[in-house]
Amino acid sequence: MNTMTATDFETSITPIPAELTKVEVKNLNFFYGKSIALKSISAPIARNQVTALIGPSGCGKSTLLRTLNRMYALYPGQRAEGEILMDGENILSPRMDLARLRSRIGMVFQKPTPFPMSIYDNVAFGVRLYEKLSKADMDARVEDALRRSALWDEVKDKLKESGLGLSGGQQQRLCVARGVAVRPEVLLLDEPTSALDPISSARLEETVSQLKVDHTIVIVTHNLGQAARISDYTGFMYLGELVEFGPTDQVFTRPSTRRTSDYITGRFG
Amino acid sequence: MTAADLASAPTRRTRPRGALVAQVFEGLCFSAATALLVALGGLLVSLFIGGLPAFQKAGFGFFTTATWNPVTEVYGAAGPVVGTVITSVLALALALPVAGGVAFFLTELCPAPLRRPIGTAVELLAGIPSIVYGMWGLFVFAPIFSKYVQMPLMMKAEPGSLLEKLTSGVPNGSGILSASIILAIMILPFMAATLRELLLTVPAAVRESAYGLGATTAEVVLKVTLPYVRAGAIGAVMLGLGRALGETMAVTFIIGNSHGFPASVFDSGSTIASTIANEFTEATSPHHTAALVALGLVLFVITFIVLALARLLLGRAEQRL
Amino acid sequence: MSVSAARIARRRVGNIVFSGFCIAVTAVALIALAAILWSLLSQGVGGLNLDVFVKSTPAPGSKGGLANAIVGSIIMCALAMAIACVVGVLAGTWLAEYAGKSRYGSVVRFINDVLLSAPSILVGLFVYELLVAPFRGFSGFAGAVALALLAIPVITRTTEDVLSLQPATLREAGVALGAPVSFIIRKVLWRAARSGMLTGGLLAFARISGETAPLLFTALNNQFFSLNLAHPTANLPAVIFQYALSAYDDWRRLAWAGALLIAAAVLGVTVLARTLAKEQRRS
Repeated sequence: MNTMTATDFETSITPIPAELTKVEVKNLNFFYGKSIALKSISAPIARNQVTALIGPSGCGKSTLLRTLNRMYALYPGQRAEGEILMDGENILSPRMDLARLRSRIGMVFQKPTPFPMSIYDNVAFGVRLYEKLSKADMDARVEDALRRSALWDEVKDKLKESGLGLSGGQQQRLCVARGVAVRPEVLLLDEPTSALDPISSARLEETVSQLKVDHTIVIVTHNLGQAARISDYTGFMYLGELVEFGPTDQVFTRPSTRRTSDYITGRFG
Repeated sequence: MTAADLASAPTRRTRPRGALVAQVFEGLCFSAATALLVALGGLLVSLFIGGLPAFQKAGFGFFTTATWNPVTEVYGAAGPVVGTVITSVLALALALPVAGGVAFFLTELCPAPLRRPIGTAVELLAGIPSIVYGMWGLFVFAPIFSKYVQMPLMMKAEPGSLLEKLTSGVPNGSGILSASIILAIMILPFMAATLRELLLTVPAAVRESAYGLGATTAEVVLKVTLPYVRAGAIGAVMLGLGRALGETMAVTFIIGNSHGFPASVFDSGSTIASTIANEFTEATSPHHTAALVALGLVLFVITFIVLALARLLLGRAEQRL
Repeated sequence: MSVSAARIARRRVGNIVFSGFCIAVTAVALIALAAILWSLLSQGVGGLNLDVFVKSTPAPGSKGGLANAIVGSIIMCALAMAIACVVGVLAGTWLAEYAGKSRYGSVVRFINDVLLSAPSILVGLFVYELLVAPFRGFSGFAGAVALALLAIPVITRTTEDVLSLQPATLREAGVALGAPVSFIIRKVLWRAARSGMLTGGLLAFARISGETAPLLFTALNNQFFSLNLAHPTANLPAVIFQYALSAYDDWRRLAWAGALLIAAAVLGVTVLARTLAKEQRRS
């Protein structure tokens, strides 16, 4: 049964009330050198919800994610224009303190990147940058972060062992714990399960669903099923444009644009 | 307090430490890198300043005079320069085919279980200090060379023949040829190891395609793999040349240390490095010292040019990957 | 297409000749190198005894050892390594993390390569002009500085190489947490590259422990036992140089013993470095 209706809309962005919005992207253009990679992106990111970014390879979803914590600033020749407001403050402003920004917006990468130190030190790394905690407080913070990443039970007896000795799925959850320990307001996940086996992926998805209680989450994913499973809002991107944005249910079952419905039904991708 | 209690406690954030520390650190790193520049610049300047008196006194004749006489204070670089160039080129000519053969053997012909031990042996031997080669050359090689090569050849040579010209001199085992041979043995492990590493960079697919077309090992090596790494190979050769030019200890023991032009391959001669090593601490006058430093400057210029060329060629090879 | 039998035969012969050449040449090379090691062992072991490690260098004809030279060499090498590690690691870090693709970075890299292969005797001349002539005295310090100048390029190169191998995501993960660059370098990248840098240090040490020429006119030599680096300092290579070229049998025996010691030290350190590198690659 075909529940989708073809439409004539080119793009469709469903707005969200301001009090429910954590981050607002306004007319964002992004350039790699002279070539434009993101075209006039505008979208709301809802507070304490999971927003998924989907689209075929090269559509710009990772690029968009990486503007949110200004990761691109590491690489000369990449620049962003427009506004990204978090609680009203423009992240892209040159006056923004990058270190402070990144303490409020954390990131987990596609490939697990444990630091070459003990599990405990991995989780404590970010915290130690900003806060001076007593040993008891730090222990508690580490435990909390590991619990919330569903890793505590597996590593509680070997906190002093190297993070590199964990399995791939555990390493990725360690990276989540590390990012979460700093208590960021927003957590960015860049295809976090693409390097993991199905079981580890499932566990990470569970973790993400639980984390949204305390964090606003934006996740880039290749996996339409994953987006449908865990996200509350979904944005579909294509060739640098944000084609459709809205509640996940709506985007997947009643997409407003032809391009979206084609992608979701697998006509291309 | 439980973890959950702490989890809900508000966080107190301080400024992340060390924007200042980060800058200081970067400054330190930059200074260290610049120190390298300063070191090389200082080297060049000090050689120039130290050697200037010699250039001023002898003018351009410094490069063309073959006399080196501390008594009459006439210093000409021609002898040591010629000696340096001849021994290095000769050493390279001797070492290159051997190094190439070893490299080809290790990458194509060697049976698998032997590959690692022989390869390791070659690399380890590249680290043996040159003074060991020098000693071996003087005490072991020279007597054998004298007895089994020099004397028979000299006795065979008809008076007035080319052979006689080439082999004149005192057959005590030392001389230009001996020094070249020892130098060749010294740069051999290094060149073999470098060439082998270079050959290993050729993708398996390339070699397999060649074998797949029915080429013999010789053809694959000579017509496919070697051209593939041509620029890098020439760079490696120049690196070997650079080493040979600057080598002191392997040569000083066995070159005979006479300052004029060598008249034959068995004749003794000198290289810039051996002259400096032998005479510097006993230099008889400031002018003698200046002449030695001036020699050093000449060696620096020659080596620099060779090394720059090598870098250029090796750099191009790396880009290709 | 008909393939002429003659052509095939020719190619086969060519292959045999080539392979034969390679094998023969390898055999010659291995034999020559084995001969050198054999001489070293046979001559050197004969001169090795407890005295070598306990007594200082003797006058010709009297009994003695190499103790002062051994100690002097160790001290100078250690000092040189201390200097070289600091400068080399920082310089290599700059090249890998801060230089990027800049022109200046390429220049520094080039200079480093030149210094890496520069004749060591010229480095000795430079340090002479810098630290010996102005102070009118040879010293162990000057010797250590000369050795350091030879070790720095090695460490710079290996540090840069090993840091460049670290994946970009490791850096980004640190940045994503808001850590300043220097913090990331020190706490994450250096730790990750730790064993590679250690290998580089060992290789540098192996290189300078065998160097003779740069010490000839910086540290000179010292007949007696002394720990004072502000004066000429005994060192193994200079002693070997002097004793080997002398006419005295006992001196020559000591020279061989010293050569054996140096070669053993260099080989030992190199083997250690390679074992470490293998361990690291396996993990």
